[in-house]
Amino acid sequence: MPLGLLKYALSKEHPAPRFFRDCTEPKKSYDAVIIGGGGHGLAAAYYLAKDFGITNVAVLEKGYIGGGNTGRNTTIVRSNYLTPEGVNFYDASVKMYEDLSQELDLNLFYSTRGHFTLAHTDSAMRTMRWRAEVNKHVGVESRVVGPDEISQACPQLDISCSGQAPIQGALYHAPGSVARHDAVAWGYAKEADRMGVEIFQSTEVTGIDVKSGKVVGVNTSKGYIETNRVLSAVAGFTPRITEMVDIETPIVIHPLQACVSEPMKPWLDTILVSGSLHVYVSQSSRGELVMGSSLDPYEMHSTRSSLDFVEGLTSHIVDMFPFLSNVKVVRQWAGMADLTPDFAPIMGKTPVEGFYLDAGWGTWGFKATPISGKTMAETMARDIAPDLIEPFRLTRFEDYELTGEKGAASVGH
Amino acid sequence: MSEFTYGGEYRDMPDPDTCTDKEWAAYVHYRNGAPGLKKEWWYHGPSGTWFIAERDTMTDKISRTYIAGQEEAK
Amino acid sequence: MTGRIAKKRGEWINRDKPLTFEYEGQVVNGYEGDTISSALWAAGIRVLGRSFKYHRARGLLSFANHDVNALMTDGEDTNIRADVWPVSQGMALSAVNTDGGVVKDRNKYIDKLSPFLPVGFYYKTFYKPKSLFPFWEDKIRKAAGLGKVNFNYPRILKPKRYAHCDVLIVGAGASGLSAAVAAAKQGLNVILVDENKQAGGSLTYDFAGDQTTADTLNNLLDEVTSNANIRLITGAYAGGYYTDHLVPIVGVDGITKVRAKTVIVASGVFEQPPVFRYNDLPGVMLGSATQRLINRYAVKPFQKGVVVTANDHGYRTALDMAAVGIEVVAVIDMRRDGAKRDLAEKVTEKGIAVHKGSCIYEVVPASNKMAVKEVVVCHYNEDTAEADPRSAVRLSCDGVAMSAGWAPAAALLYQAGTKMRFDYDVQQFVPDQLPEGVFAAGKVNGVFDLKARLLDGQRAAVEASNYLGNASELITVTNPEMASPSHPYPIVNHPKGKNFVDFDEDIQVKDFINAAKEGFDNIELMKRFTTVGMGPSQGKHSNMNAIRILARIRQLPVEKIGTTTARPFFHPTPIGHLGGRSFHPHRYTAMHQWHVDNGGVMMEAGVWMRPAYYVPAGSHLSASDAVQEEAMAVRQSVGMIDGSTLGKIEVFGQDAAAFLERFYTGKFAGQKVGGSRIAMLLDEAGVMVDDGVAVRMAEDKFYVSTNSSNAATVYREMQRNIQLWGMQVTLVNLTGAMAAMTVAGPASRSVVETLIDIDVSAQGLPDGAYKEGQVAGIDARVMRVSFVSDLAFEIHVPYKAGMHVWQALMAAGKQVGIRAFGTDAQRLLRLEMGHHLVSHDTDGLTNPFEAHSESLVAMDKDFFIGQRSLKIIEKKPLNKKLVTFVLDNGFTGELPKECNLVIENGDIKGRVTSISHSNYLNRIIGFAFVSPEQSKSGSRFQVRTDSGAMVPATVTQAPFFHLLESKGA
Repeated sequence: MPLGLLKYALSKEHPAPRFFRDCTEPKKSYDAVIIGGGGHGLAAAYYLAKDFGITNVAVLEKGYIGGGNTGRNTTIVRSNYLTPEGVNFYDASVKMYEDLSQELDLNLFYSTRGHFTLAHTDSAMRTMRWRAEVNKHVGVESRVVGPDEISQACPQLDISCSGQAPIQGALYHAPGSVARHDAVAWGYAKEADRMGVEIFQSTEVTGIDVKSGKVVGVNTSKGYIETNRVLSAVAGFTPRITEMVDIETPIVIHPLQACVSEPMKPWLDTILVSGSLHVYVSQSSRGELVMGSSLDPYEMHSTRSSLDFVEGLTSHIVDMFPFLSNVKVVRQWAGMADLTPDFAPIMGKTPVEGFYLDAGWGTWGFKATPISGKTMAETMARDIAPDLIEPFRLTRFEDYELTGEKGAASVGH
Repeated sequence: MSEFTYGGEYRDMPDPDTCTDKEWAAYVHYRNGAPGLKKEWWYHGPSGTWFIAERDTMTDKISRTYIAGQEEAK
Repeated sequence: MTGRIAKKRGEWINRDKPLTFEYEGQVVNGYEGDTISSALWAAGIRVLGRSFKYHRARGLLSFANHDVNALMTDGEDTNIRADVWPVSQGMALSAVNTDGGVVKDRNKYIDKLSPFLPVGFYYKTFYKPKSLFPFWEDKIRKAAGLGKVNFNYPRILKPKRYAHCDVLIVGAGASGLSAAVAAAKQGLNVILVDENKQAGGSLTYDFAGDQTTADTLNNLLDEVTSNANIRLITGAYAGGYYTDHLVPIVGVDGITKVRAKTVIVASGVFEQPPVFRYNDLPGVMLGSATQRLINRYAVKPFQKGVVVTANDHGYRTALDMAAVGIEVVAVIDMRRDGAKRDLAEKVTEKGIAVHKGSCIYEVVPASNKMAVKEVVVCHYNEDTAEADPRSAVRLSCDGVAMSAGWAPAAALLYQAGTKMRFDYDVQQFVPDQLPEGVFAAGKVNGVFDLKARLLDGQRAAVEASNYLGNASELITVTNPEMASPSHPYPIVNHPKGKNFVDFDEDIQVKDFINAAKEGFDNIELMKRFTTVGMGPSQGKHSNMNAIRILARIRQLPVEKIGTTTARPFFHPTPIGHLGGRSFHPHRYTAMHQWHVDNGGVMMEAGVWMRPAYYVPAGSHLSASDAVQEEAMAVRQSVGMIDGSTLGKIEVFGQDAAAFLERFYTGKFAGQKVGGSRIAMLLDEAGVMVDDGVAVRMAEDKFYVSTNSSNAATVYREMQRNIQLWGMQVTLVNLTGAMAAMTVAGPASRSVVETLIDIDVSAQGLPDGAYKEGQVAGIDARVMRVSFVSDLAFEIHVPYKAGMHVWQALMAAGKQVGIRAFGTDAQRLLRLEMGHHLVSHDTDGLTNPFEAHSESLVAMDKDFFIGQRSLKIIEKKPLNKKLVTFVLDNGFTGELPKECNLVIENGDIKGRVTSISHSNYLNRIIGFAFVSPEQSKSGSRFQVRTDSGAMVPATVTQAPFFHLLESKGA
């Protein structure tokens, strides 16, 4: 038993302090206001304070911290993308994640388990090779493997998928990991708060005050706040915020659903994704299978669950793992994914001076949390987007310079 | 499997001969992603029919449906 | 069977069918109808499992499908819920998640470590140093989970059933039954569902020592079962509520998807445990659990029991216990004023002591820590939730029944979007604003009195009926004056803790207090930090107390705390039930059987099955040899491929040509009847989506093909644009109705000629021409095409005649060595011809300028889809170009593969999209994307192979046949 836990047994009063203060009354003005208290917004606040000494920052969260997509995703972290700019960006995120527990002084349960993207067709195999080659080129450990190697890592997987869609191979991505999603938000909140950032929960932004093309303040459910720097990091709520500053984006919102099984003794050590079967699955440290599927097929601004989703997902789960027939699904839920047409985020400056956008995260926002926080903090502090996120600028759509992630039918998550 | 397929928001195309490149690019790529009542294309598979549905993207309630171009005067 | 009592009226066991089974190696007797828990309890077995975190011994708690600490395995299946699963003859059961048996469980030491494991401890340790985390993680994973899953469990998929009704009533207790009868009287078609194996709800067990309610139940059941408008489904639960009143009813034999016009939720309430030290010991259980044991299964919960209560229900429980001869030592009432007079008197008449204003401060375990020895009773201060230990009295007993209040089983109401409010009269969340077509009745609606419940069911039925268009007189229900069924704060603080709130997750009162201290003082954050309600019972017995505790910590009224969201499923639901019948539809072409019979290696191609190549019986061809031989046959003589999967669409009407002009990139207005043109489709952004061939059959009629994988989407897009553009065009989708085959190669004409009644000579049917005629006596559409060979005939015939024509052509070609070829050879052949495949050689961003397809794009037309975007793209420099290439003559190194990268100066310039050895050319040829600077014929570029070797390639013209001529040079 680690010694750190001794104090809990020995002290009468619970020895742990608050993770973050209970801020209720915002000040009159801040050097920067961050809309959205999810992982991205809190990380941006943290790096503003840590990297740039900008601590007079308010994070405004409509609900509770980490309650949006941060707390609803299936916690997969990987960097096996298709384009060099994508791979570089997510690789930087993976590297930050690897040390994040130590940096935030909180165990995020960052667990590197290896990630297999299963291919059931020739064309899927080609895409796997494409990704592997680009990954290798950039120095990320991904390679195409055959059914034997998949079986070795996951002997329980039925390689024939019950005869329905035999697996031909996979893209194996060694750094693929999972983490405790809530803790990422809490850790960033804790350390940002320690440096002076103020986090306001149950505080809704109702308007953004723009004068002569520049941000001058925000209206909130707790009053008006003066500021000339605003970051929107609100995922599924992005169109509602960009509407306030009259900015057009390609973002549409589709629900993304997931579910968990009842806990069972851990047996699935790797992360498995099948693009053709629209399944991704891993087993949490509680023993639950965490399972997801593709996006809902139409636009919707709600987190309602659908029966279609869980029926489709489970029918493929039993193809892959026939023995799970009588294992039970305990709970399903949904998040609102903010989608772009080229499967890449929109990050950086906007036509409104002082208004910065961190959006378009679709199904891959969690894995980018540290690097998006860091690069958005830099963008806000210097008013210049760093090279790493330049490919993700908003103007790429007007310029017909979409990122190449659209190149292959992208397998999400 | 659903008998209805979503076909995206119904949007008026700018005149390609007179609009600017920027206006066209906006038409091709940008969307009104905010919640609200929207005119959408939907396809009914069994009958092979496209129609327009006016749907609230917040509540998922459909208020009207009609064939494109045959919208009755309100 | 020490615990079994004399036969009871209405009991659920069949005493004529005794059975035996094993539990943890011990032989146990039971009866048909017993659940695992009832049989074990009757046999005097008290330890039914170990808790998830601390491995504490646990017995029976709810006896209502949320006893998550009594999960069993029978060696086949796991996580079997003992409280509700029927026992059967010969079962061999043991508790899950133990090491060395449920009694001796070697992991029980973890309980002693609990002071070191405060709430959220795992966030605070194990990560320094970083290198040790994998070690700790491994330990944590080993401790995690409940049952071990059996990797040999069979793949069982249960088919789905569908049902429709006017009213779906969830819960067949008093209010649900009453609602069903009333709704049926209104002429409505009713489905009534209950998770218990018999209807009746609390009417089947809550007797308060006298069984008069049984008559009420029998009358209701008679009415229900005799009414043809009511379908009663028992032993199945409503899994969740989904949009438009879709409710899956989950039974042992599968799921029935009910689409209802209205839904009445009469799902009742879950009894909530009061919280005191050691309220989790085996022998401490909910009052309703003791009543169910006694009145449904004729099992004594204990011999000598204490009732702790904070409502009148505890007194009813005491009376039920006394009625079967259980010694009830005392009723301990946490309320200052106790129960209403008549109930209190009935209890005291039985000689049972009532301690008002008192609580159980703690339960004292027997020496083995696995049973109750006595309880410590103290005065209780309702305002501070503190017991006064100075007033302690010890009462010896072997069990405790707990009745402190209820929480609504409102999951379906929440999922339907009901706004709930907290009703202080009943200390319960009740529906405030219900969504359209959804109604609530009975206890879930805050109505507890039996008469009122019956009336509330009728009220809900009338409202549902009126919602459906009837106009019956509305019924008003008034709750009679009564004590609150729930206590506002049934919690007893204890300095040593172990007063459990969540039994799934072993969460104690102090965990909530400490979580709040650390800032997790919002109900959702608290849930996530403490994991309350995250276990398999989904907070059924813990969420309400958690809300109360948090409200008190924050000194806020309960309704300000709010509730957590209740997600589906109501109970955990098997994957095989949800997955249903595995549904993977495949389409077969008319010639499918021939392919199979002739060694076709079938592959999925979208929804179709197609032969990739053929290995005829008796031959031992490798895949690549088969492909090369098939291709060689086409080059040297003749081959035939089944092309039925092509999209085939007839476009006719006065605007047909004008429509194609707008839809495709090319020109069709001036196209001659009997001629064909390439039909390339872009999306609005100018990206290549599909290419096919458009044949003009008549002035106003075209026959258009699409790529196999795009047949459905292209057809749909055509339909949409006809509507959008308001054009006079009609479409007929002949994709499935027509079989198609291509006869290709220098000898193809001689084969076709023998069977056809029209002139197919070079003059009669030049390249690109189209004619109708008869092939083997069948009306056919015939086209000269040149996709795989300079000379080829594409023949379309009705599906039913496909096999006949195919076989006739095969027979006719036998003399010249005709071979069937599959999709792999087709790929090689078209590559030799220099034809790219859209979405194989192009990707989701490729425009026609990048793919050498400018000639197919009529930019001078008025409009076509994607044109305006191309006008923008045209002005920008190209990023990449698709080229045809050849590897050096005699290349023998590691063959590059498709998607290997084109590298120059360490940068990615492109990738190989197609590559193949051609036996005919004796060269390796392919398509690749390269930078525009590298794209001129003769340019050299480098491809990096899987192993990292750099392979030079040369851009060359296609078709590649010129390589044959230069071979000697």
